[in-house]
Amino acid sequence: MMLLLATLAFTAPARIDPVPAALFCAVPDDVDPPAYYAVDLVTTKRLPGTGHAEGTGHVTFASSPFGVALAPDGSYLYDVAIQLHDMGKPDAGVLVAWATTTQVDQVQRLGALDESLSVRGQVTWNKFLVVVTLEPTDDAAATAWTGPIALRGMSRSGMMHTMAGHGPFQQELCAKYGYR
Amino acid sequence: MRFARRKPVRSGLLAVLAGLLFACVAPAPAAAQDTTMTMHMGHDMGMGAGWRMVPMDPNMPMLPGIEMEVPPVGAFLPGEGMDPAMFPEAHPSEMVRMADGDTLDIAVSMVRRTLHGHEVVMYGYNGQYPGPLIQAPKDATVVVRVTNEIQMPTTIHWHGVRIDNRFDGVPDVTQAPIQQGESFTYQVNVPDAGMFWYHPHVREDVQQDLGLFGNLLVTSPDPDYYGPAHREEIFVVDDILMDGQGLLPWGKEAPTHSLMGRFGNVMMVNGQTDYRLTAKKGEVVRFYLTDVANTRTFNVVFGGAKTKIVASDVGRFEHEQWVHSVLIAPAERYVADVRFEEPGVHAITNVVQAVNHFAGTFYPEVDTLALVTVSDEEATPDLREAFATLRRNDEVVEDIERYRPLFDKAPDHELETTVRVSGLPIPIVLAMEMDTLYVPPMEFNDAMPMMNWLSTAEQVTWILRDRATGAENGDIHWKFKVGDVVKIRIFNNPKSFHPMNHPFHIHGQRFLVTSMDGVPNDNLVWKDTAIVPVGTTMDILVEMSNPGTWMAHCHIAEHLHSGMMFSFVVEE
Repeated sequence: MMLLLATLAFTAPARIDPVPAALFCAVPDDVDPPAYYAVDLVTTKRLPGTGHAEGTGHVTFASSPFGVALAPDGSYLYDVAIQLHDMGKPDAGVLVAWATTTQVDQVQRLGALDESLSVRGQVTWNKFLVVVTLEPTDDAAATAWTGPIALRGMSRSGMMHTMAGHGPFQQELCAKYGYR
Repeated sequence: MRFARRKPVRSGLLAVLAGLLFACVAPAPAAAQDTTMTMHMGHDMGMGAGWRMVPMDPNMPMLPGIEMEVPPVGAFLPGEGMDPAMFPEAHPSEMVRMADGDTLDIAVSMVRRTLHGHEVVMYGYNGQYPGPLIQAPKDATVVVRVTNEIQMPTTIHWHGVRIDNRFDGVPDVTQAPIQQGESFTYQVNVPDAGMFWYHPHVREDVQQDLGLFGNLLVTSPDPDYYGPAHREEIFVVDDILMDGQGLLPWGKEAPTHSLMGRFGNVMMVNGQTDYRLTAKKGEVVRFYLTDVANTRTFNVVFGGAKTKIVASDVGRFEHEQWVHSVLIAPAERYVADVRFEEPGVHAITNVVQAVNHFAGTFYPEVDTLALVTVSDEEATPDLREAFATLRRNDEVVEDIERYRPLFDKAPDHELETTVRVSGLPIPIVLAMEMDTLYVPPMEFNDAMPMMNWLSTAEQVTWILRDRATGAENGDIHWKFKVGDVVKIRIFNNPKSFHPMNHPFHIHGQRFLVTSMDGVPNDNLVWKDTAIVPVGTTMDILVEMSNPGTWMAHCHIAEHLHSGMMFSFVVEE
């Protein structure tokens, strides 16, 4: 019976009574960022200690009163949390995470990775690549990477592809739509 | 007592209404031709069953195998075969200030409108677009007598109002549908200040789209409830689907566009396609935004003017915030203060990144919703300083503080959203299986007009599934007591045939969105409708304060009528 009561106490909907603010508890972390939109980071094996390295860019919406955060041009405004693992830390230099467009014509610096090989930054594109590079210094003003790429990955939206010339639109010429 | 009429919520309602609609409406004419540029090349052949081809981008190739397909339901247009001149011309909304105990008569009738150069027959509340703006003081009870003069049964749902359950306007749950020629009297008690709205809960995809919506502004006794503004404007955003002949028909027995909802291609503000405002230099205008579209989520940009978000569905935010746009999903409301500083003509626009699934790209889509002409004359008094201040609403913070200890409790219930299809044309199924390698969190445009049009509620079942029991939609049996505070976790499962964002609405109660994907919400506001993007896990805390049998559903009209709803009971 006690077990039943205890179970009910934990499962029944709560009833509200005024509670001192001191009892405030933080929101639980039992919800993971959406796996569907996660960016898998794959090693280039160009740097020592990165042969088995892996990483993930967890994508969530930036803070917004509307739930979904948008940039001024209507693109999503994402928080991207990078976490690497199974890799050694470099003897020299700093690992820095960047986001870039699929054309690699614009770059946003997400930040230098910390001791736990993680960093959080913001991205304002709907399609983007994430790269982690080894930079000589932690230069917050840097506008592009100069060092070798250690890992790289692509946003889920990169899987959205042209259907011209294949699949159900096989009769459509790719070139007609600007694709070769 | 458990709710014993769950299945009738959908099956009974849809069957009865579809039958009535089918029986009452005159047969549609033979197939029509459309030679406008919005017609896809090769589609100007005869269509069956009164259908005209849905407009789509002429640069987009037609999916092979569906060129001659039409939705497997009849086509419906109000006043089909009748001279529009038979119906009175609709006129803009009028404000009705009501005190406690006052009565308003509302006639639901057919009206004549000129939209985008076409004379069309639509519906109206008291012949107005939108319906009358009802203003009432907080805690008042006003009486609204509704008489139905259209061919379909109808009801009025008072969206967001924690109303007496008997007057919630859900057919076959809280009342019998109001048949043509019949009346129903609603006693509308308004316990919360804010902007609410009213609309039918019978074939919303048709009736609401045709103009049956209006706002209910509940005023606070506190004169300082909002910050100072020079004036207030209602800003109801909507869209409607038209071609070279006028309004595109709706599904007669069941909604079309069941996959994505019926996106319009003509934008409207307050029911007008060319909405214009004037303002003085430095004028602070308080906009009350409501999205009444069937499915479109708008991202409203006020022409570069500084914009402050103040309130949402059921009250004010904990603190005001600067924003560069207002993202508003179907059925949501937001209150935004905007200061127009620069003289000239400014466009209020809908700015989104649309998806082209064929090309595999995003592209910017900007639609002008309204024009604001700002004069050189200075607005008085000068509200610059007050506008520059972001207020913290201590009353709201204190109210919400009582609930914070419950934010991190385990969910009382978990829902997931998904979809089931059967009987769709094979080319659509094949194309979509390829296309859904990636689905965006939000669908801001109809990227597949033909496939979407062909999907009806007879082939598509949108699902809210109780993750603990596996029960779906009307088979979900939840029961609560007044005073319960219930945490519901909603997961929009991206691994389905066609994932899509859902504006989730709960009748008769208020809730807080406490977190999305585990990220705490840092500026809370009481809501009745909230967006659940694809792939997202949203936690909400619902205060069960209002006894009765209540609906919860997706507010995309076509998803609602494709099954995405259930009822729950709150006992005294």
